Amino acid sequence: MFESIASFIVGVSAIFLAYYLAAVGHGLMEKSGVLNLAIDGVFTLGVAIAFAVSVYTFSVPLATFIAMIVAALFGLMLAFITTKLPISHGAAGLSTMFLGYGLAALVGLPARQLQINGRSLATIQPSLGGTWIWFYVVAFVVAIGIWYLVEKTKIGAAIRAAGENPASAEALGVNVLAVRLFASGVGYALIGIGAAVFELAYTQVWSQGAGMGYGWIAFAISLSAGRHPILILISAMIFAALDKYRFLIAATYNLPPDVGKMLPFVAAIAAMIIFMVTPLKRKLAPPKSLGKIYFREERTV
Amino acid sequence: MAAEANNAKPTFLSPPQEGKKPIVSLRGITKRFPGVIALDHIDLDIYPGTVHALLGENGAGKSTLVKVLYGIYTPDEGEIIINGRPTRLTSPADAINMGIVMVSQSPQIIDTLTVAENIILGLEKYNHFVPVTKVYKTIREESKRVGIKIDPGIEVWRLSYTQKQLVEILRAILLGAKVLLLDEAITYLPIEEKQRFYKFIRRFADEGGTVVLITHKIYEAMDVADKITVLRRGKVAGHLDRKEATIEKIRALMFGERSAEITYERLPTAQPEPKTILEVKDLWVMGDFGGYAVQGVSLEVKKGEVLGIAGVAGNGQKELIQAIMRLRPVMKGRIIYNGEDITRKTTYYLRVNGVGYIPDLPAKYGVSIENSIIENIAVLPVYSRGIINWDKIRELTLKLIKEFEIKTPSPDTPVKFLSGGNIMKVLVARELTVATNLLVAYNPTRALDEATAIKVRKIIKEKVLKNKVSAIIASEDLDEIFQISDRIAVMNSGKIVGVFPADKAKREEIEHLMVM
Ligand SMILES: Nc1ncnc2c1ncn2[C@@H]1O[C@H](COP(=O)(O)OP(=O)(O)OP(=O)(O)O)[C@@H](O)[C@H]1O
Ligand SMILES: [Mg+2]
Repeated sequence: MFESIASFIVGVSAIFLAYYLAAVGHGLMEKSGVLNLAIDGVFTLGVAIAFAVSVYTFSVPLATFIAMIVAALFGLMLAFITTKLPISHGAAGLSTMFLGYGLAALVGLPARQLQINGRSLATIQPSLGGTWIWFYVVAFVVAIGIWYLVEKTKIGAAIRAAGENPASAEALGVNVLAVRLFASGVGYALIGIGAAVFELAYTQVWSQGAGMGYGWIAFAISLSAGRHPILILISAMIFAALDKYRFLIAATYNLPPDVGKMLPFVAAIAAMIIFMVTPLKRKLAPPKSLGKIYFREERTV
Repeated sequence: MAAEANNAKPTFLSPPQEGKKPIVSLRGITKRFPGVIALDHIDLDIYPGTVHALLGENGAGKSTLVKVLYGIYTPDEGEIIINGRPTRLTSPADAINMGIVMVSQSPQIIDTLTVAENIILGLEKYNHFVPVTKVYKTIREESKRVGIKIDPGIEVWRLSYTQKQLVEILRAILLGAKVLLLDEAITYLPIEEKQRFYKFIRRFADEGGTVVLITHKIYEAMDVADKITVLRRGKVAGHLDRKEATIEKIRALMFGERSAEITYERLPTAQPEPKTILEVKDLWVMGDFGGYAVQGVSLEVKKGEVLGIAGVAGNGQKELIQAIMRLRPVMKGRIIYNGEDITRKTTYYLRVNGVGYIPDLPAKYGVSIENSIIENIAVLPVYSRGIINWDKIRELTLKLIKEFEIKTPSPDTPVKFLSGGNIMKVLVARELTVATNLLVAYNPTRALDEATAIKVRKIIKEKVLKNKVSAIIASEDLDEIFQISDRIAVMNSGKIVGVFPADKAKREEIEHLMVM
């Protein structure tokens, strides 16, 4: 079905890395208890920013950097308003999502106009000079780094504590706001980089709405892997393969194209079930206070 | 500056100890919540090297006061002076920095984290990115010194309540606490641990530490405390020195007129009918971590009697009670209720057939703390089958609030806004109402103040005597067992090791069987 294993690995490397970074960032943020419904909007905005900056400056690093910074700012904002004020995480997240969609159009369209008029876009080609190897290396290094951070360090314990029970965490000496700012800032920085990789290494084109829906797939990847940095590697790989080859699969088996579009989500459910019947389920259970409004002066019995 | 404040109004404060300055002083501390003044201009001096007991009826403001000291609540008015300096505590981290650490009745440590992770969270000297294993050695050493066996790498959900409390206390020590705030922290430890801890507290104070001790066990407070402050309705009712404190004085300050009702005399013995209401035959039930917690228990409760189950916490009482309520699978044996085999029946069946249930950890398993008092009453299947008659439930709720003197701004207040004891009162009031045939209870007066606890026992006994309701009550409190039971069964290591008629039972013998 695939020309060869090698071309498959090279072919999915960019979308794999994009998914991986967005999913792992999302998971890190949610580990601290902030429900992240803004992901698709900010991902879409990140895609537009990466595109625009790349058009204006013709610099891939700069485009990635700016996408990362802007996304991180959104992460900080979300963590701040949901922790400091008794505001619903759902409402804050969804409004931010729409804000992201709107801003994405605002940022992307002028650059697109320039591109139509002949300006070109800096991109990276995964297949050129073994770049794709570095994509995998980055994913694995980030996986191990985030896993170590979350599972082994003091701040990791603080992040998990804030997600399980912020009131108890506070009583144990955790500054819940600071910890959530950290997790959400770093988490969204990763989402921003993921969006840049998506634009500059995977699609390499932009039209209004580019990237929309891919944030939700990252959300599903993270969820299906129980927000676990290592398991997300597996989920991200499955989704990347399905995204790249879904039409091929649909054509090969003579399935309608809409079924092809559904495949990633079927895979998400399957992955979730598989992880949950293993002894890992305790580690992969969602943080108990995910999305709950945390108001400090309220009693915890 | 603090010294001036001290000199300014020394009149109604107990005389300072020879030459010592208070480590913590409160001046005019006021904390309001919607509909209540939890603390109303509190003045209090706490001296280093003392155990300072804080007593008061349910809802008096004790927990609020220590939460202010631990930086969880910010007072609306007033001043906290620590070591002579006015200090603002805006978070527990602030308090920990000042050497103030709180341990409360319900463990705050987080289940999904390991012991070491829980402890390191408060340790300032470790930076954020150090591996948690860095504290293992310190934890092992310190726990050995205090006499607690604990594996720093174990996840907290694997620990028993007692072990969790021990970890909390260990944590306080490791944080270098100079002032320990104990909010009913040792009340529910098994006798042996409790005594160990009272000894530890004494030693801690003798070595210069300070302990603020909240408990409803007044005798224990009188035993260990150097000073006693009684709160009533958010105000200081009085400060007493160890020497001048008598039980009568304390009770009078705590309860006013209600103190006359306090008695530990045995309530009248019931004359049960021959009919058996509950029978347990050779019951085997698993504990949480494998192994049988209940091992071949057989017992019987007649119509119109109270069977008390005495035992040290963790000897299978909880599992026995849960199995009877059909909340835990029975591996072997039978349970018969009202002549019917219920071994395979559901909790729902019992709940609609006149069984009231007071579980262990009431705030977790007994009420839904996010919901209001009314909703917590309406939720029982006896009221919520089909359409709920809210007018009737409201009427019932108002009646119960009055009868049990539940301190709440309104029946629509979410339960989480009530004090620990008042949450318990909601549960007890509801369950006593639905227990028209049988009451199954584990520590039914847990968290209640003395006067309320005794009142609850009286109400239970009255239902047993007048309405021929039966009751099976497991309790770690022997005073309670003796006061209310008609027969006493002693449970040890999952087995019933003796059954006695309560009027003839000897306390020493029962205590011996409990720890044998
Ligand atoms: N977070 C809160 N929100 C609203 N009301 C509160 C809150 N915390 C306490 N209260 C109210 O303040 C009063 C004092 O409560 P507190 O918990 O200090 O009592 P307590 O002396 O500890 O009682 P108990 O012995 O029952 O534990 C109660 O009326 C309670 O309902
Ligand atoms: Mg209290």
